Amino acid sequence: MATTTYMPEVVTEYAGGTVAREQVSLWRDGLRRLRRNKLAVVAMGFLAFLAVVTVVSLFWTPYPPNAIGTCQGYTFPSPKHLMGCDDLGRDLLSRVMVGSQVSLVVGLATAFVVLVVGVVVGLVAGYMRGWVDTVISVIINIFYGVPPLLIAISLYVLLGASLVNIIIAISATVWMDMARLVRGQSLSIREREFVEAARASGTKTSKILFAHIFPNALGPIIVQATFIIPIAILTAAFLTFLGFGVPPPQADWGGIASEGFSALASGFDPYILLFPAIAISLTLLAFNFFGDGLRDAFDPRQKR
Amino acid sequence: MLNRGTLIYIAQRVVLIAFTVMVVSFGVFVVVHSLPGNAFISDRLHGKALQLLLHQYGLDQPVVIQYWNWLKGAIHGDLGISLVTRGAPITPIVLKELSVSAMVGGAALLVTIGLGVTFGVIAAIRQNTWVDYTLTTFAVIGYSVPSFVIASLGILIFANWLNNVSNGAFYYPLPWQGTYGGGGLSTLISLSLPAISIGLYTSGQVTRITRASMLEVIQQDYIRTARAKGLKSRRVTVRHALRNALVPVMSIMPSTVLGILTGVVVIENIFTIPGLGKEFVTSITQQDYNLTVGVFTIYAVLIGFANLIVDLLYAVVDPRIRY
Repeated sequence: MATTTYMPEVVTEYAGGTVAREQVSLWRDGLRRLRRNKLAVVAMGFLAFLAVVTVVSLFWTPYPPNAIGTCQGYTFPSPKHLMGCDDLGRDLLSRVMVGSQVSLVVGLATAFVVLVVGVVVGLVAGYMRGWVDTVISVIINIFYGVPPLLIAISLYVLLGASLVNIIIAISATVWMDMARLVRGQSLSIREREFVEAARASGTKTSKILFAHIFPNALGPIIVQATFIIPIAILTAAFLTFLGFGVPPPQADWGGIASEGFSALASGFDPYILLFPAIAISLTLLAFNFFGDGLRDAFDPRQKR
Repeated sequence: MLNRGTLIYIAQRVVLIAFTVMVVSFGVFVVVHSLPGNAFISDRLHGKALQLLLHQYGLDQPVVIQYWNWLKGAIHGDLGISLVTRGAPITPIVLKELSVSAMVGGAALLVTIGLGVTFGVIAAIRQNTWVDYTLTTFAVIGYSVPSFVIASLGILIFANWLNNVSNGAFYYPLPWQGTYGGGGLSTLISLSLPAISIGLYTSGQVTRITRASMLEVIQQDYIRTARAKGLKSRRVTVRHALRNALVPVMSIMPSTVLGILTGVVVIENIFTIPGLGKEFVTSITQQDYNLTVGVFTIYAVLIGFANLIVDLLYAVVDPRIRY
């Protein structure tokens, strides 16, 4: 839901605010380029569908997602239970629908947390330079010195099993990319004339950071933020697959896949594993294609 | 190449690695020691008996002093003792697990670079053809499908459907269950599935960056000159273009290494491979403090030196870079 309305919001805010008209058409131009990218449009369509499913699952699912014994355990998919049932006879379709909540919330919330933390840390490091920058850079490098999944698992174990703690744990492993990107942008933008002018006229540092430097680094920041969503969803899936997930009986895709994997290991049919696996894969594909389209449309200089 | 400046650079980096490892190990030490409960929970001890046991392993002292004692040992290569097993020394355990993980990770790195660079070069040469579109789409699929999905599908196909089911459980011939390090073809085959599961993710990113930087290099004048001299097209691509295109590829190697290590943690738990990743998950659930800290420490050292090697390789690929 929030993803599809993300860009227009930014555009209107931008158009009404600080920029001249030609640059408005630059954003329009980007939107037009985004619409011409077929893969990105299909991806946006899928994400819209996912958003609808998530919202619907808040109010209605074919069966109660946590109700045990809606059918025999390990019932194969049938017209009554489109995705079959898991070991406890819970309706899998309902659980997969509800599972989308965890993925979307973790993806979007992590992207938001990282956006805030990364932008503030990066702006300060790049603008202040000196010892502040050195300290921040050392901290960033220390975080890069350990596999992210281990940090996430340790924090998760330390904080306890809950959705919020998963978001915190994952944010702690992905904030560095954003901070480094913003720091680089901040370092180069602070040398431009308009920043010097602002400084000479006695503007407060916080205003220089957020009203002058930040808007001019917005393109790459938004693009980076969209790529954080799939990384967060993937890390969350790893965590829950390894058993460090949301507390049961709440359903999430990694957890269902993990149950399906044990079912597979005890010789049952693979559908319990396949449905959540397909759901995660399609969602990640959609976010990645959407992010690619966004980058090609709004940040043509950045190449990968 | 290995002149005085390079040696000084290496020395500086090693000091930096030591500092990072110390900070990481201290952070993890504090975190695991502040978890509720302890490693002796399964013994159901209370009161005096528990106090005595905690005292015996020095767990009643302040964390900083415990860390200091641990650090004194760690500098001499002694990572302490395992609490759950009541005193097995950790260093040999972790080193053996490291050798297993290194095998899996090394194979994954081969898959990553092999697939990634090959596909990237082919996609760049055939830019805007169906080959290009197929390979770039494949790259995105590669880093969108989680490794545990690929691993599970692989198990489903090779273990379940290809008649390797025994008593309804997996029969996946791992070389390290009982007959660790058997060598030969069976090791290679049983290593390939974990390696591909991990490597597809990281190879996707390598494909994309190789393609992008090849496209940039191919347009340059010296490539046209080489062509104009009448050099064979393959020779120009490999000797002239690829070598220069590899510099940006090197720049994402640190994140590739992190991606592979993350993949190894997940995949080892799926295939029950007794490596560092599996040990980490077990030890943190059992609160075997020293093992958790030991695994972290080994990983930090590993990543530090992997990044150092990548940076030194820059100078090999691009002689203009000096340290």
